[in-house]
Amino acid sequence: MSKVIGIDLGTTNSVVAVVEAGKPKVIHSAEGRNIIPSVVDPIKHIVGDVAKRQMIVNPRTTIFSVKRLMGRKYKDPEVQRDMKWLPYEVKAGREGMAVVNVDGKDYTPQEISAMVLGKIKADAEAYLGEKVEKAVITVPAYFDDSQRQATKQAGEIAGLTVERIINEPTAAALAYGLDKSHAHTIAVYDLGGGTFDVSVLELGDGVFEVKATNGDTHLGGDDFDAHIVEYLVEEFKKENNMDPSGDKQAMQRIRDAAEKAKIELSTTAETEISIPYLTADSAGPKHLQSKLTRSKLESIVGELVEKTFGPVKDVLKDAKVDAKAIDEIILVGGMTRMPLVVERVKAFFGKEPNKSLNPDEVVAIGAAVQGAVLTGEMKEMVLLDVTPLTLGIETLGGVSTPLITRNTTVPTSKSETFSTAADNQTSVEINVLQGERPMAADNKSLGRFILDGIPPAPRGIPQVEVKFDLDANGILNVTAKDKASGKEQSIKITGSTGLTDEEIKRMTKEAEEHAKEDEEKKDEIETRNKADSLIYQAEKALKDGGDKVPAEVKSDVEEKIKSLKDIAPAGPIEEVKTKTDQLSSSLSKIGESMYKQEGTSEPDNSKNAAQPDGETKSDDKKTESADVEEGEVVKE
Amino acid sequence: MKINKAGTQSNVKVDKRHQELENQLRRTLADYQNLERRIEEERKLLGKLSAALLIEKILPVLDNLETAQKHLQDPGLELVVKQFKDILDSEGVVEIEAEGQTFDPNLHEAIEAEAGEVDNKISRVAAKGYKIEDKVIRPAKVVVTKKENLNEQSKSNEKDK
Repeated sequence: MSKVIGIDLGTTNSVVAVVEAGKPKVIHSAEGRNIIPSVVDPIKHIVGDVAKRQMIVNPRTTIFSVKRLMGRKYKDPEVQRDMKWLPYEVKAGREGMAVVNVDGKDYTPQEISAMVLGKIKADAEAYLGEKVEKAVITVPAYFDDSQRQATKQAGEIAGLTVERIINEPTAAALAYGLDKSHAHTIAVYDLGGGTFDVSVLELGDGVFEVKATNGDTHLGGDDFDAHIVEYLVEEFKKENNMDPSGDKQAMQRIRDAAEKAKIELSTTAETEISIPYLTADSAGPKHLQSKLTRSKLESIVGELVEKTFGPVKDVLKDAKVDAKAIDEIILVGGMTRMPLVVERVKAFFGKEPNKSLNPDEVVAIGAAVQGAVLTGEMKEMVLLDVTPLTLGIETLGGVSTPLITRNTTVPTSKSETFSTAADNQTSVEINVLQGERPMAADNKSLGRFILDGIPPAPRGIPQVEVKFDLDANGILNVTAKDKASGKEQSIKITGSTGLTDEEIKRMTKEAEEHAKEDEEKKDEIETRNKADSLIYQAEKALKDGGDKVPAEVKSDVEEKIKSLKDIAPAGPIEEVKTKTDQLSSSLSKIGESMYKQEGTSEPDNSKNAAQPDGETKSDDKKTESADVEEGEVVKE
Repeated sequence: MKINKAGTQSNVKVDKRHQELENQLRRTLADYQNLERRIEEERKLLGKLSAALLIEKILPVLDNLETAQKHLQDPGLELVVKQFKDILDSEGVVEIEAEGQTFDPNLHEAIEAEAGEVDNKISRVAAKGYKIEDKVIRPAKVVVTKKENLNEQSKSNEKDK
């Protein structure tokens, strides 16, 4: 079944998104950008960034902002006003509709927009790897029937079946999933590159109704940039006694720097603007260097932000609601990243606005969500859960060994092979744990069972496969199986994900708080385990080697074993480490001397250690080396 | 199998449910396969792309070093500029030819138009452009000649305000 893409066909930029596996995702263009400038050269058939780059050279054939003409009559006062500043020719076409004339040929705004949509379609097909034929396209809430119809036609010219035309504020609300919330009245504040829109929506039976809409069709980020440029030019003038505004290249560099500074000041409190060699006079080169603080920026553009609240007040009046009666506020448009905008909106409505989604993409995301609802993809979403906490078992020394780590999507299963910790150990206890802490005692035990009947063997030889199977309902099946005897034991734990949010939060927080000490504790245990394992190995080597071990090597090793044994269980940890290393080097002499005589080797078995009460030992890589040769033991 | 009426109905219901679930499964599998394909593609691209992103960020430094060199004519600085360019070169970053070329918006960004003998010739380069293989990291910012009269230019400036 083919996908329905969601398109935000904007005045300055367009964005496209699609729902995949239940999640909306913005599709990047062939140029690798999430935003496509709504700019077209209909003669050369170029669209987007490339068309935008030639705008200055070919001002009469590069069409932008065509959305302003969409579905409007030539005589329309809006069209008459925009014509004055649009560099391309606008004239009256069939039935008095506004069309653009490029090189003697008339193009309807639909045809121009269709070229943008055509590129979007091609980019989406490249991304999805399949044909795209259906789309949901958004329009401003104030668009009338004729404008909506024209938008739909644009889609059809581009080869897209327009499944639905939806309002931009409605799309934003869908993107935030507010159709499923208890919110009743929603305000959408949309401050984009060139236009400002504010709408009040009312939700009834999962359907949004636009109660009122208002705005300013010529107020947006570009005006903010212009204000900053003006300020920088003034600063430069004061400093250098010369006016750069006649120098187009210098002005271009100032514009770029102004936009960059504006973006930076959304996240930092201060930024440095430096444009070396901006221009020059007889006295030499001139540089622009200026510090701009966020508060200075706010004083430069403050009046523009205030200007938006006129329409905001009007829209509330038209919708007959009080600012305090708005349940949710949504921020749309790149300019709403500016902290001052957020702050002022918050102060006006007395509520924190929704701004977690990318404000440039939220409308396209909502359109994609609507598209998925239409295909039924969203109707019955299989919501996949994740395990909120890590699941594992207790291993030697009270260490918690994870099998399924937190945030793994369920259903999932995982198995690992463990072994025994002592010679002739015939049973292992499986203690199923939940939590992020490295030590078993700090985590929650979900249940435990014993697998017995393991044939007696040296430590590290038996292979016990432990399998965790977590199904979609959070039911955890833990099975332990001895590979040699085929004996199996299992437990079913039902409440594994049934933790409350508070419990999960608490456990995660505790893990973070104790991270350092836990790590130290775990290190200590591992060091002791390693010492213990080495003692076992050394004793075995002496026994196996028998007479072949030279006397002086034997006594050396025996002595080192004894001194390590004394401190291994509880002595100072640093000393354990040193003595382990010492024993290890002495031990290698046994191998050396034996090699000289015969040539059998004894691989390192550092993690094995005697453990009286039948605990398991973590060792998943054992399978590879297990039954290679008689007497060979597990490699870590 | 379908013996009585009630049984038929419930079978129809089951069939429908069956179909719904099958659809769901197909869609999910398709999404998954697409994701795998895309991850593979992106992995190939990522190395190049991340280099391109970093290079794009440091290019202004090279611009400024070059402008400084133009003014200062310092032999030491000359070496620094060369060193910088050598590194770009070794990473496969190539300067986009611009001066004297025909304007091509795939490679060049026009920042100014001026009257000239011919149309669409690049008369000056304000900032050099760079590409890595066929991917444009930054288009060259250029001044382009126009045979037409200057009327239009003034209009384009207005628009550019």
